[in-house]
Amino acid sequence: MKTRKSLTALMVASAFAATLAGCSSKSNDSNAGGAGSASSTAPASSAAASEGSKATKLDPVTLKIVMPGDRPADMDVIIKEAEKRMADNINVKLDLVFVPWSDLAQKTQVMLASGENVDLIFDAPWLHMEQMISAGYYEPMDDLLQQYGQDAIKVRSQQMFDANKFQGKIYGLPLGNTHLAGRTYLVRKDLREKYGLQPIKTYDELIQYAYKVKENEKDVIPLLAYGQGASTDQAWGAFREYMEYPQFIRSDALGQSLVLYYKNNDGKVYNLFDEMEPTIWSWVQDARKLYTDGLIHPDVLALKDIDSVINSGKVGAAVYNEFGVPSSLNTALAKNVPGAELEAVTFMKMEKGANITNFKQANFQAIPKVSKNKERAMMFLNWTAQKENYDLLAYGIEGKNYEAVGEDQYKQIGTDYSYFPYAWVWNPTTDRLNAGFDEETIKHYQFNKDAANLTPSILTGFSFDPTPVMNEISLYNATEAKYYNSLFDGVTDPDSTWASLKKEGAANAKKIQVELQKQIDAFLAQKK
Amino acid sequence: MPIVREIVRNKYLYVLALPGLLFLIVFAYVPMAGHLIAFKKYRLADGLWGSEWVGFDNFKFFFMSSDWYKVTFNTVFLNGLFIVCGLGIALLLAIFLNEIQSRLYKKIAQSLIFLPYFISWLVVSMMTFAFLNTTDGILNSLLIDNGMDPQNWYLKPGIWPGVLTFIYVWKFAGYYSIIFLAAITGISGEYYESAKIDGATRFQQIIHITIPLIRNVLIVLALLGVGRIFYGDFGMIYGIVGDTAPLYPTTDVIDTYSYRALRQLGDFSKSSAIIMYQSVMGLVTIVIFNAIARRIDKDSSLF
Repeated sequence: MKTRKSLTALMVASAFAATLAGCSSKSNDSNAGGAGSASSTAPASSAAASEGSKATKLDPVTLKIVMPGDRPADMDVIIKEAEKRMADNINVKLDLVFVPWSDLAQKTQVMLASGENVDLIFDAPWLHMEQMISAGYYEPMDDLLQQYGQDAIKVRSQQMFDANKFQGKIYGLPLGNTHLAGRTYLVRKDLREKYGLQPIKTYDELIQYAYKVKENEKDVIPLLAYGQGASTDQAWGAFREYMEYPQFIRSDALGQSLVLYYKNNDGKVYNLFDEMEPTIWSWVQDARKLYTDGLIHPDVLALKDIDSVINSGKVGAAVYNEFGVPSSLNTALAKNVPGAELEAVTFMKMEKGANITNFKQANFQAIPKVSKNKERAMMFLNWTAQKENYDLLAYGIEGKNYEAVGEDQYKQIGTDYSYFPYAWVWNPTTDRLNAGFDEETIKHYQFNKDAANLTPSILTGFSFDPTPVMNEISLYNATEAKYYNSLFDGVTDPDSTWASLKKEGAANAKKIQVELQKQIDAFLAQKK
Repeated sequence: MPIVREIVRNKYLYVLALPGLLFLIVFAYVPMAGHLIAFKKYRLADGLWGSEWVGFDNFKFFFMSSDWYKVTFNTVFLNGLFIVCGLGIALLLAIFLNEIQSRLYKKIAQSLIFLPYFISWLVVSMMTFAFLNTTDGILNSLLIDNGMDPQNWYLKPGIWPGVLTFIYVWKFAGYYSIIFLAAITGISGEYYESAKIDGATRFQQIIHITIPLIRNVLIVLALLGVGRIFYGDFGMIYGIVGDTAPLYPTTDVIDTYSYRALRQLGDFSKSSAIIMYQSVMGLVTIVIFNAIARRIDKDSSLF
């Protein structure tokens, strides 16, 4: 009985696939006939889907998509336009659910665990992607991608898929517009010019600038970093890792912690508790000096909303996780302090091969197992990969929310459609850069779009399975949360803080290191 | 069957009680089955019954840590402060409010005291930060104006039990005082009249009539608080303290600790294990305190 049922299912499925294949070849032909006309840019597979809809009549389906952030004011206008465009082909209606960043980890987890009917959900390794996969919440999408996602594949590099598999399968569509995440210090350009300083090129110049701010501005705190919770990579001292060479790369096991790290691309896990790396320790001591000298914000560990502090104009320089200054920050800052302007300063090298990367992307859209519309969800992701649709979802209505500048840049108009393509559609091919970025920033982005400019990490494609050391990780996380940010923001005495962290955390970190090394060795052995 | 007879005789009363009973069954009794998750390696894909039994494995992460007794102590200590100070000041407020003669002034005062109850923890958190931050906090500005050195309050764990208790009292005293006030209003005026005839002062009336007569309300409220003494108020403490690590030594409660340890793991079994621990400890405490209450005054115990 059971076999017969699955047999029927198989037959139906193969029949459906055959229809699709038939349609796609037919539409290819018709496209070939009309080739050259500018309007036939819609790639073959979407045409296939639309033809398929005529043949098998796709019912209207509402996709529930969960994303981080706040709902933009113009969201409904964009949804309406998108639904209009989709009505004739994939026939999808959109129910977008926005979850505030602060509740993201918790809420999305509860949604998944309670089996809420979600069709696409944002997740990321820095959130809880691996854990959700090992808990069995997500559907592998390899087959769906092959069948319905040809456009989505085309706009991403092969490395992007190869490197972002989890346990050998694709569990989420990688979202990224570059192969290397940018890191920046946002510096108050107006203040720098006021003191007659040249554009900042080195970390030492940044610190000189900070001391100038300290001397001259009573109400401005020179330096700001992150000190709360999971943003440990943006603590002042830890952030320097992104800008200095040779690189120390955070391990795959402990989130953003530097305690376990890789170096020299040698496939080994190093542990700061075994041997303190002098460079990393110098960052800690430097942060301590800056904090005691009153350069780093005294409440750095208590501040929850960093952007609003930057916007208030009371900060001289702050760390930021992208290349370039987001226009929203500059607009808000200029409103509060007339004449104030932020500029982006980065010490990341733009030399071929200087940066090691594992091509891991930070953001993903996954299809939960409970979704009843998995095929349609993939068709939607595929649909978003087409240039004109991408433009709509990423930047809004042309002329109202943005203005296209050439093929690959844009200018934002107003603030009714805030920037969040990274949450659901990002890819390196159709993405436009903010035309408001300075030349240097645009160069950085374009440089890192090309996978060939980066040195692939030996661990490209590796992903860590935390299940065997779950207890140790939760214990270690709880310990680290007590000390790590204080240490790297220089708030407490480095020696005693490190001693406490080592005393309470070393044993668990060791076990995690051993397990990670074991999995890495197995991965490397298999690769050979 | 005496039970059937009882139900038939009082059927309308039982119908009245039905919504409340249903609520309790659905939201309090059925979820108790969820405690099973604490002993399983729960995976959504396998379901509650399909998941593997793992005994006490899920409790390990909490009890293996060096912090579990400290966060348990913090939870009990902070909640103890909240119950004692919260109820004590609410009682005083209720008595003072009751003594006010002008009706208009009494209503206004009552509303103003009650108002903070409606302010969300997030807003309270921002107010706290505006008051205590180092750069332009109100408290530090006052200190500077008076020629004293500003302090970095977010690095001083010692003051935070006090700060949190102050906030708790500010937010909830008005709420509890209304309950007390209702109880005071219920006291028959004849007691006070005869006391006056015997020459009792206002103060004597309060000590010898008002307080003894609302004692059982006080005990019931205290017992209800004690029953939840192992549950840290996550919304409050995480809202106000957040991830401010230097304050953990005095403000980290069971709920915030396990939230931090588990937030990246998404492990339902481990969080259920924590809730199990809190429930069992809470049950034990309330049974003990209820027995004490019954010894003092039979009528004011909960069961």
